[in-house]
Amino acid sequence: MKKRNKSGKKAVKKAVKKVKTAARTTTKRVRSVVKKVKKLPVLKRVRKVVSRVAQVVESPRDKTEETKYYPRPTPYLPPRQWEREELPDRYGDTRIVIMARDPYWVFSYWEVTDEKRVQIEREAGASWNDLRKVLRVYDVTGKDFNGFNANRYFDIDLHPSAVSWYINVGVADRSWCVDLGVITPSGKFILIARSNIVLTPRDSASDVIDEEWMSIEEEFLKLYGLWGGFAGASPGKARIKKIMKERLQQELSSGGLSSFVRPPNYKGRGFWMVVNTELIVYGATEPDATVTVQGRPIRLNPDGTFSLRFALPDGEQVIPVKGVSADKEEERVITPIVRKSTK
Amino acid sequence: MEKGYLCIVLHSHLPYVRHPEYEDFLEEDWLYEAITETYIPLINVYNGLVRDGVDFRITMSITPSLCSMLADPVLQDRYVKHLDTLIELANKEVERTRWEPAFNRLALMYQSQFIETRRTFMERYRKNILSAFKEFQDMGKLEIITCNATHGFFPLMEVCPKSVRAQVQVGANSYERFFGRRPRGTWLAECGYFPGADAFLKEAGMRYFFTDTHGILHASPRPKYGVYAPIYCRSGVGAFARDFESSKQVWSAIEGYPGDFNYREFYRDIGFDLDFDYIKPYIHKDGIRINTGIKYYRITGRTDHKEAYNPDWARERAASHAGNFMFNREKQVEFLFDVMKKKPIIVAPYDAELYGHWWYEGPMFLDFLFRKLHYDQKTVKPITPSEYLERNPRNQVSTPTMSSWGYKGYCEHWLDGSNDWIYRHLHKASERMSELANSYPNASGLTRRALNQALRELLLAQSSDWAFIMKTGTVVQYAVKRTKDHILRFTRIYDDIKANRVDEGWLSDIEYKDNVFPEIDYRVHA
Repeated sequence: MKKRNKSGKKAVKKAVKKVKTAARTTTKRVRSVVKKVKKLPVLKRVRKVVSRVAQVVESPRDKTEETKYYPRPTPYLPPRQWEREELPDRYGDTRIVIMARDPYWVFSYWEVTDEKRVQIEREAGASWNDLRKVLRVYDVTGKDFNGFNANRYFDIDLHPSAVSWYINVGVADRSWCVDLGVITPSGKFILIARSNIVLTPRDSASDVIDEEWMSIEEEFLKLYGLWGGFAGASPGKARIKKIMKERLQQELSSGGLSSFVRPPNYKGRGFWMVVNTELIVYGATEPDATVTVQGRPIRLNPDGTFSLRFALPDGEQVIPVKGVSADKEEERVITPIVRKSTK
Repeated sequence: MEKGYLCIVLHSHLPYVRHPEYEDFLEEDWLYEAITETYIPLINVYNGLVRDGVDFRITMSITPSLCSMLADPVLQDRYVKHLDTLIELANKEVERTRWEPAFNRLALMYQSQFIETRRTFMERYRKNILSAFKEFQDMGKLEIITCNATHGFFPLMEVCPKSVRAQVQVGANSYERFFGRRPRGTWLAECGYFPGADAFLKEAGMRYFFTDTHGILHASPRPKYGVYAPIYCRSGVGAFARDFESSKQVWSAIEGYPGDFNYREFYRDIGFDLDFDYIKPYIHKDGIRINTGIKYYRITGRTDHKEAYNPDWARERAASHAGNFMFNREKQVEFLFDVMKKKPIIVAPYDAELYGHWWYEGPMFLDFLFRKLHYDQKTVKPITPSEYLERNPRNQVSTPTMSSWGYKGYCEHWLDGSNDWIYRHLHKASERMSELANSYPNASGLTRRALNQALRELLLAQSSDWAFIMKTGTVVQYAVKRTKDHILRFTRIYDDIKANRVDEGWLSDIEYKDNVFPEIDYRVHA
């Protein structure tokens, strides 16, 4: 990826140099070339820009030189993925995408290629870092948006390093389109990329009444209100809206399994301490002997040892351990007595 | 004659977590816990109802990723191993608690429960509990519906309609493979709907889906019957909405049934409570304490001091809560019938894992509820959405609003500072997948395998669970790793196919690791 960027940058630099050395009058032609090749893959695109720009601004002799200095493009081999553990920062696109998060917020993310930056710099006559980056947010509700017919728009100044932004559009049930652009020192807006269009969801009942299914307001409010638990009363539209908002704040799904929802929190807040006691009773006898503890048979390890572990409550525990030899001829009883109390 | 219907929906889902490359993988326990604590207890309830002639209806989504795990031999065998370890622990517990009768009784309860679970799993269903659910479906008691293939969250995939289609198609095809027929309806992951998503369901032959309450209350034109009748989207697919009231009674942390002081306390598990050396063999190999499923306390009160769980008291509460739930539905249905002059349908959806896993007594509650509905009243009749639509083919046409059942009702849980970085990668991968599918419409051999695997990787990356976990902040690293792994695997396949240098050895390896949806056809993403 790095290599690719490097060679890309080099090519870009070269192109810039050439463009700069060319007469200013050719800028327009250069621009149109850039536009035409915009859709090609990155490196190819850069090369194409370079060669086309060369064609535009240079003499035939330079053109020959061009072919000399630039090797034929080799098929692009991306780096093997196993060399990478991280996702790429950029994909070599100039684009902005928006997503409606809720009735009032739209999320946007974008990417601008180096070539596009160069182009914008040239167009704006200022360096990238000196340009104000903005999101121009258009309300395009009910429009077949063409860039000029929005109902209204507003600008958001971006932090220079931002690659995403949450836009507070503030109004539900409207269509939005966002331009990523720069504002030149002279105040001109230059478009970098235009987003898709999203519709923010409605936050209240629709005012559109279906003729065929028309219901009277009061009847609807009764049904609308029922989910809030106030059946029977007609609570009024404003109150319903408020309750709906409150209700949406509540979490009424578990999100599935606890293990990925929340960690155990039984310890509560602040300092805490727990003390418990357990008693281990262990011993050994002939491997083929039969052993009972408090009258219940236990299983011996192959070597005749045994170990038992008991939660030890307060009080006295009398623990007769009885071993009987395999031939039932011999028997032994050992009885530990344990008293536990807690202060 | 009934005056209305009750449609209980249980949504069961787990992200596809299967790591044959590790001997012990913490996150695989999610599946094992869910089988022991929810799926088998539910199967037991269904079996009991059938045995006793109780006519019941439950709609249950079993997501394609969950189906795939339940049918996977590696995971099935690991589950048996897991269960054996659990039984061994329960045996030790029976001994250890000998001098504490209140706990000893519970240890014995778990011991017999686990042994019974093992018998059900191994002997009755031969390790594949999907066959149990299929049986109930074939009897007409259970309606199993599908879901987005990997639980992709649609509202945030609106810019990638091809991926929405793939999620729907792969989900439907997977369902067909498991249940031997096409799905009639679907559960949209997290109830995530955007206007137009229904068209993809239509294309896959599905007749209905569910939204949260406001999805339909705020539909346009305004739905005459609110959430108490489905609407038809323009595509003709029906949309049913959740009834808030019945949800709240079960879900609410404050007023909900599961918070009753007599119910089992979820957060006191011996995996955390007992001496490290003793519990060590039963927690994670690296010494990370986890839930074992053996829990001895009841909620007791709003206090850190917990008392021993009493199964008899809990059972009584479950019965009375079921009675209360039914009573409320009867009143609700009577009122609605009066207002609507038509039989309402009350849709009550829950995460299946709430029942049993979170709310230990949940399956018992359902058992009581369906018995009471069957014997004790005539007002409310349990129904499935398909049955409802058959009886009520005429419904209002309207378009639901974009919505989900997540926090605040839209996309916030899956789109915030903790997880918004994933979308540029997901969207790009989706675009590339379509590019591949269109460039190679008739691939065969190795290229075809690579293309199919590319789609598997893309779908796995799209699981809403990863974003969910990143936001929730529990096992974030794992969720981040999964997102990156799948995107990186996808990207490598993309690059390799384009450079015509697919590495068969590597491909075989990821086919083995990410083996979901064997029947997948990459062309659904064209």
